[in-house]
Amino acid sequence: MSSNGNNILIYKDRLEGIYKDLNKKYSHEFNLSVSNGYTVTSRSSEVENIEYHEDMALNITVYNNFKKGNASTNNLSSENIIKTIEKAENISQNTQADDCQGLPESNFTEKQWDNLGIYYPKDLEVENVIEMTKDCEAEAFKADKRISNSEGSTFSFSKNSHMILNTNGAYGAYDSTDYSLSCIALAEENKLMERDYWYSSSRDFKKLEEGSSIGKKAAERVLSRLGARTLKTQVCPVLFSPEMSASIISNFLSAINGSAIYKKSSFLLDKVNEKIFPDFVNIREEPLLVNGPATRPYDSEGVLTENKNIVDNGILKTYLLDTYSSRKLKMDCTGNGVLTNITMNSSEPLVSDIISTLKNGIYITDMMGSGANTLTGDYSRGAFGYLVENGEIQYPVTEITVASNLSQMFQNIVALGDDIDLRNRIRTGSLLIDNITIGGTN
Amino acid sequence: MNYIQNLVLDNYDLTNEKLENILSAACPKNIDFADLYFQYTNSEGWQLEDGIVKSGSSNIDSGVGIRSVAGDKSGFAYSNNFNYENLISAANTSKCIVKSGQSRAIQLGNSQNIRKLYNSVSPLDFKTDDIKVKFLKDIDKYVRDKDDRVEQVIVSLAGTYDSILILNTDGIKAFDDRPLVRFSIMVILKVGDRRERGSSGGGGRYSYDEIIDTKFAYEFADEAIRQAAVNLQAEDGKAGSMTVVLGPGWPGVLLHEAIGHGLEGDFNRKKTSAFSDLIGKQVASSQCTIVDDGTISKRRGSLSVDDEGCETKCNTLIENGILKGYMQDKINAKLMNVSPTGNGRRESYACLPMPRMTNTFMLPGEFNPNEIIESVKDGIYAVNFSGGQVDITNGQFVFTASEAYLIENGKVTKPIKGMTLIGNGPEVLKKVSMVGNDLKLDDGVGTCGKDGQSVPVGVGQPTLKIDEITVGGTQV
Repeated sequence: MSSNGNNILIYKDRLEGIYKDLNKKYSHEFNLSVSNGYTVTSRSSEVENIEYHEDMALNITVYNNFKKGNASTNNLSSENIIKTIEKAENISQNTQADDCQGLPESNFTEKQWDNLGIYYPKDLEVENVIEMTKDCEAEAFKADKRISNSEGSTFSFSKNSHMILNTNGAYGAYDSTDYSLSCIALAEENKLMERDYWYSSSRDFKKLEEGSSIGKKAAERVLSRLGARTLKTQVCPVLFSPEMSASIISNFLSAINGSAIYKKSSFLLDKVNEKIFPDFVNIREEPLLVNGPATRPYDSEGVLTENKNIVDNGILKTYLLDTYSSRKLKMDCTGNGVLTNITMNSSEPLVSDIISTLKNGIYITDMMGSGANTLTGDYSRGAFGYLVENGEIQYPVTEITVASNLSQMFQNIVALGDDIDLRNRIRTGSLLIDNITIGGTN
Repeated sequence: MNYIQNLVLDNYDLTNEKLENILSAACPKNIDFADLYFQYTNSEGWQLEDGIVKSGSSNIDSGVGIRSVAGDKSGFAYSNNFNYENLISAANTSKCIVKSGQSRAIQLGNSQNIRKLYNSVSPLDFKTDDIKVKFLKDIDKYVRDKDDRVEQVIVSLAGTYDSILILNTDGIKAFDDRPLVRFSIMVILKVGDRRERGSSGGGGRYSYDEIIDTKFAYEFADEAIRQAAVNLQAEDGKAGSMTVVLGPGWPGVLLHEAIGHGLEGDFNRKKTSAFSDLIGKQVASSQCTIVDDGTISKRRGSLSVDDEGCETKCNTLIENGILKGYMQDKINAKLMNVSPTGNGRRESYACLPMPRMTNTFMLPGEFNPNEIIESVKDGIYAVNFSGGQVDITNGQFVFTASEAYLIENGKVTKPIKGMTLIGNGPEVLKKVSMVGNDLKLDDGVGTCGKDGQSVPVGVGQPTLKIDEITVGGTQV
C-alpha cells in the first residue's frame, strides 16, 4: 500500500498562474487541503472493510469592499477553479458590507514548513495492516470469556497536505500524517451487554501503542462496566476522566471563542482578566508541539499561530480571536482562526492517585448528549461511571445524569490528575470537581 | 435537470458499455456484488448575524463511490475524477477486499422509472441571490421590531441539490435528484444580565419559494422569540426519576434514540444491539405503534429511492408494542435472509452505505393531550429538544430538553431550565402509559449521525406520557 505523495505544489503553480489575472478589485484567499489514505477494519478474526479515500477541497474567499463571498469545490482543474472564483465574486456582490471583513494585514505566513514533527509517511503493506487489526481484536477476546462479541479493530492512515495563498502575499504549506488503531469490545453477563473501546493515535506510526495492548485495554474497560447499577440522586464530588475533562475544557474554549463573544452568545462575555478557575489552574495553547494532534504553523487565514497563556493562575487572559472577531471586538488577533493544542496544567503538583483524593464520590468515564449550554453555562448530561468509597472503586453506575453550571464547575475544580491523555488535542488529566448534582433513582 | 447525465456521463463520454466495464472490474468472480454511486452536489448557504448578511457560500462536491461486496466484507474506493481510466483504477482498488478472480461480464438494464416524492428541480435556480438576502434582512427586522429584549438574531437559509445515479451488478440503473432546503433562526433575548436563547426552523425537499413566499419563516421567528422568552423565566429543575409528558412533534427524537438506532439491521446482524433477537417480543407498551416511513412526499427524511437504488417504504418497526422488524440495507438484508427495506443510506459518494432511519414516528393513540397532562400530579412537560444520543449495546440513551415546564396537580405551571433525560431503550417504551391523538411530525430540521456520517432525517409523535424516567436537573 504505497502512498504517492499529494503533490500540492502542482496546485500552487496552477493557483499562482490563475491569480495573476484576477480582478484587482477583489482580494482573494485560497485554502487547499488534499488528503489520501485508507481505513481497514477486521471483525471476528476476518477483514471486514477496506476503504480508500482521496479527498481534495479548495476553499476560496473573496472580499469586495468589505463584502464577503465564499465558494468551494473538489474539482481542481484550472477551468473549474476559475468558475469557483467567479462564483465567490458573485456572492460578494450580494452580501452586505462590514468594515471588519477582509484579509489579515500582517503577521501572516510566507513560507513552506518542514520539520514540524507531524509528518512521518510510511509505506505499509495491506496484509500487515490486516494482521495488526486481527491481532488487536484477538487480544480483546483472549482477555476473558465474557468478551462475547466485538465491533472489530480499525486501523486508519491518512497523509495530508495543506496550503494557503492570499493576494496580500501570504503563502504557507505543510504536510502531516495521522495513524490510529482502535478496538471496540463487547462483554455480556446475565444477558446484559456492554461495549467500550480503546484507541491510540499518533502522527508517527512508530509511536502508536501496540495492538495487543489496545485490545487488552478495550477488554478491561468493557469488563469493568458489567453489573452496573443505578444510584440515588445526590450532590457529591465528581472525578471526570481525562477524556471527559477534555470535553469540559472544550466547552470553556467554545465560550471564549471570538465568534461567541461578538455574537454575545457566551456565559464568559466581558470576563477577560477575571478569575474563572481556582488559582492553581493554567491553560496554555501550544501550536507547534512535536507530534501534537492539532499542531499547525498558521491558522485558517494564514495568520501565524503562537504559544499563549489562555488562563494564568485561574485568570482568563485572552479570548480566541481570528481577524474578523478581533476587529469587531477591537482587540489583537490571536491567530485563532483554528484552535491548536491546548494543555491544562496546575501550579501545584499533579495528583498521581487521584481516585484516593476523591475518596467518596463518583468517577465519571463516559457522558452522552449535548447538554452543555455555552450561552448560560447550564450543564446537564447523561453519564456512566463508578461509585468510589474510601478512595476505592466499588461498582459501575449507569443511567445517571450530571448537572451543574460551567461557571461553578470551573470554580469548584479541586485537583488535577497526572493521568494526562496525550492523544487528545486538549491535554488534561482527570479533573476532580466538587458539588455536582447526580440524578438517579429517588 | 439531472447533473449526472449532463455534466458527468455526457461530458466524460461514459457510455453504458464503459459503465458496465467499470462494474465488471469491481466485481470479479469471487465478489458477490458491486455498485457505483455517482454524485454531483451543489449546495449554498446564506447567513445573517448582527443585523447584516455577512457572508454567503457555495459548494460543489462530486465523485463516484465504488463498492465491492463479498459476504460481509466490503472493499471501497472513490474518485473525484470522472475520467474512465480513473474509475477503472478505483474499481480495481475496491475489489482488493478479496483475492481477485476472473472478471465477469455485467449487463446494465434501462434506467428505472422511479416513483417521485419530490420535484427534480434545483432550489438553487429558483430565487436570485438578492431576493434571499432581502428575505433574511426582512426576518431580522421583523424580530427586532417585535421584541425590544432582542440581543442577537442569527438567521440562515441553505439549499442543496443532490443529483445521483446508482448502478449495480444486479443491472439496476437509478437516477434521483434530491432538493433540500432549510431555514433556521436563533434569537437571544436579554433582560438584566440574563441571556437566553430560542431556536426554530424548518425545511424539506422542495424549493425556496415555499419558504420565502409564505408565512412559514415568520412563524418560526415567532416561535424562536417565544422559546427564548420562556427560558428567561425558567428556574432550576429537580434531579431524579419522575413522570414526564412529552409534547407532539420534535420530541419524537425520543423514538429515534430509544429504539430507532437499536433497530438498524447492521447492529442486529452482528448482535451488538440491545434489541438483537427480540423480533416478536414485547418491547413497548401495547399503545405504541412505531413506523419508519421514507415515502412521505417532500419531507426532509424522505427519499424516492435509497442510496442503493431500492424504493423506500413505510416499515412498521413496532406494532402494539411488539417488535416487528429491523431497518435494512442490501448487505445486511441478504445476510439476515430478509428483504431490503429501503433504508440503505450514505452521507455521500465518499462513504459506505449503512442501514439508516428516514422519518421515524409513533402513530396516534386515543387520549386527548389535556387528559394526559391532567393525569399527572407531579412531573415534567417537555416540548422542545436539542438532540440526543444512544449506546445501542446497553440501550442507554439521552435526549436534551430545551423547553420544559413543571406539571403540578394536573396543570402545566413554571418553566424549568433545559436538562438531559436518560433512560434505557428496551425499557422506557414499556413505561409509556398514555398516547395522545395529536400526531405531529417535526418541521424538517433533523440530522442524524452514525459512524461519522450525517444524513437528514425526520421524527414525530403524538403527546405521550412516560411514567418514570431519570431527569438531570440541578436541585435535589
